[in-house]
Amino acid sequence: MRNAGGYAYTFDVGGIRQEADTFTCAHCNSIVIVKPKCDPCDLGGMCRLCDKMICATCVDLGRCDPMEKKLEREEARYRALRSYGM
Amino acid sequence: MANYSVTNGSTTGGGTQQNMATAYVGALIGLTCPSAAPRRFKIYDVLIGTNGTPADNFIEWDISRVTASSTTTIVTPMPLDQADAASLTVATVNSSTHGTITGNSNVFYVGVNQRASYRWVAAPGGELVAPATSSAGFQLRTRSGGYTGTATGTLHYQDQ
Repeated sequence: MRNAGGYAYTFDVGGIRQEADTFTCAHCNSIVIVKPKCDPCDLGGMCRLCDKMICATCVDLGRCDPMEKKLEREEARYRALRSYGM
Repeated sequence: MANYSVTNGSTTGGGTQQNMATAYVGALIGLTCPSAAPRRFKIYDVLIGTNGTPADNFIEWDISRVTASSTTTIVTPMPLDQADAASLTVATVNSSTHGTITGNSNVFYVGVNQRASYRWVAAPGGELVAPATSSAGFQLRTRSGGYTGTATGTLHYQDQ
């Protein structure tokens, strides 16, 4: 795939190396391995709002909630709890 | 932003490698933010394999998010550039029990033959990112229905 988000290598029995492209879901951060000649629909899809590749699970959710926003929410909650002394 | 490497190899102070079971019981490697002044970190390279007697078994590898680290051997991650300062991220290895796993949070899951080794490396922007909150991070775990030996893992990550 073009602009892969990562690469996976298997050094198999007998020293045979197999490679596959991967991408990291922009919504949940999970790694999706792109199998050769795989149907694109099985991989997930492209979020039209954040314009990033997402996994099949996040496609089914049908909303755009980027990972960066999730991290910011979690960090804001953490900072708030610390400010309350919790 | 400095890069670091941590492995569960039998280095001094690295604890004892744990045998695999049919369920996830321990964790090969755990990376978590420190409780004081947490900082984000990004995992960009994962190398996994086994070091037992070769046989044909499947092994499942999993990286999940945690909200609390396991209580086990803490090691000092190796900076890839020796000029860099010590890592702020807490690294634990060879744990017999895993930490507090966040439900449905496995970001890496792959089944590999016991004889094979596997490597995943992220392109820039494709890393696994941990939030800058106390004790948040990732743990690398394994399980197998047939293999009961030990396994090896290496994680490369970047402190933010």
